Amino acid sequence: MKQTSLFEEHKSLGAKLADFAGWQMPIQYSSVKDEVIAVRKNVGVFDVSHMGEFIIEGAETYEFLNYLLPNEIEKPAVGKAVYSPLCNSQGTIIDDLIVYKLENQKALVCVNASNIEKDFQWISEQIKNFNCQMTNKSESYSLLALQGPKAQEILKKCSLKYPDEYYSCLETDEFILARTGYTGEDGFEIFGPHEKIKKIWKQLMELNVTPCGLAARDVLRLEVCFPLYGHELNDEVTPLDSALKWTVKMNKKDFIGKKLLSEYAPKYKLIKLILDKGVPRQGYSVLNDSGEVVGEVTSGTMSVSLGKGIALARILVNKYPQNDIFNVQIRNQNYLAKKTPKAFISGGHK
Amino acid sequence: MSLNIPNDLKYTNDHEWGKLEGDVLTIGITDFAQSSLGDIVFVELPEAGSRVEKGGAFGVVESIKSVSDLYSPVGGEVIEKNSELESSPEQCNEDAYGAWMIKVKLSDSTELNDLMDSKQYEEFCQSSN
Repeated sequence: MKQTSLFEEHKSLGAKLADFAGWQMPIQYSSVKDEVIAVRKNVGVFDVSHMGEFIIEGAETYEFLNYLLPNEIEKPAVGKAVYSPLCNSQGTIIDDLIVYKLENQKALVCVNASNIEKDFQWISEQIKNFNCQMTNKSESYSLLALQGPKAQEILKKCSLKYPDEYYSCLETDEFILARTGYTGEDGFEIFGPHEKIKKIWKQLMELNVTPCGLAARDVLRLEVCFPLYGHELNDEVTPLDSALKWTVKMNKKDFIGKKLLSEYAPKYKLIKLILDKGVPRQGYSVLNDSGEVVGEVTSGTMSVSLGKGIALARILVNKYPQNDIFNVQIRNQNYLAKKTPKAFISGGHK
Repeated sequence: MSLNIPNDLKYTNDHEWGKLEGDVLTIGITDFAQSSLGDIVFVELPEAGSRVEKGGAFGVVESIKSVSDLYSPVGGEVIEKNSELESSPEQCNEDAYGAWMIKVKLSDSTELNDLMDSKQYEEFCQSSN
């Protein structure tokens, strides 16, 4: 089992550790609830060093990324970050990732821990005809996510430079700092060498930033309806099945999966459900008002911010109920679930 | 970790406690259980009149991230459930031994012999920690 450079810090803070994608990761420190509240109201920090980092460099870096990914990568200015699914030629999802446009000819691509090898292999095959190279930096970077309305204040206290705009990035001699995250709040992700990240972590602890685990991170992302690979996204569904149509730019010249996606009629619709009673969980059936199964919950939890059960659910388009009435089946009982158009929580990011 | 284990209660290795009054056992989850589960957000309990079996699942307790079955220390008839927990599940975290879940009228009092006393339970917790 792999350990991050902060493993000893987590142990000394009394974190509950568990296996996540082959890593021994902190799941929670004090309480999931307190950690979620810290991020929504104040500031918290996550060790997400298990995430993967690839550097792509060379004259055709952005031409390549624009071909590799469904979202538009070339047009945004250097210094911007772009979220995109990574699709195969069938248009189904290999992973989802963020491209950080560090320089004219250099990008950082951050991918999910569980998909590092699969992604690296896939991208290596696609990059061959382009004048650029990829290196896997996953082992040499640690990554902190400092999240919450007071994140900027904290970075100032640490005398760290930071990007001014949401979804942008900058590289210093020591770190790559990005104004991104997985919580819906303002915040930063700090990539850097292990020893330097360790120093930042210690500084953050001295500033009373709340250490937060992956359990709180999952609640936070679900409250703002960010998808998670292995839950909402997998290699059997396309972005058009997964509420990611906005990331598929059909007007682009060409990209992997374009042909299939342009002809594709979605099989599924991803919806947001909120329950007055009961806690929905991944895999629970979603029923229409006559009790017929029409889909399933892809992620579910008790929302800390709302005090209600919330879920993302994948509904079969050909069974989608006209009246928009849904029930979630929990231990053979049906609980009414209200479909909501907006994210459960709007988050405070700029 | 210092464990809160009252010595007037009986315990199971599924981390339930039981308090005997006459032929009725009041049942809840231990301090160890609530602390391992974390913030408890949902409790589902059987109605009065239903029957539970020794070692059988009688309900469910959910934390933010997990779902766990509740196992009855003894068999018998449920004579009362603590409905308050359904609206205030956080009581299980705040006061594990005050937040009782169900009261069961024993059908076989010899089943009590299989339960642990506080000393045995403390050892059990320490060995499984």
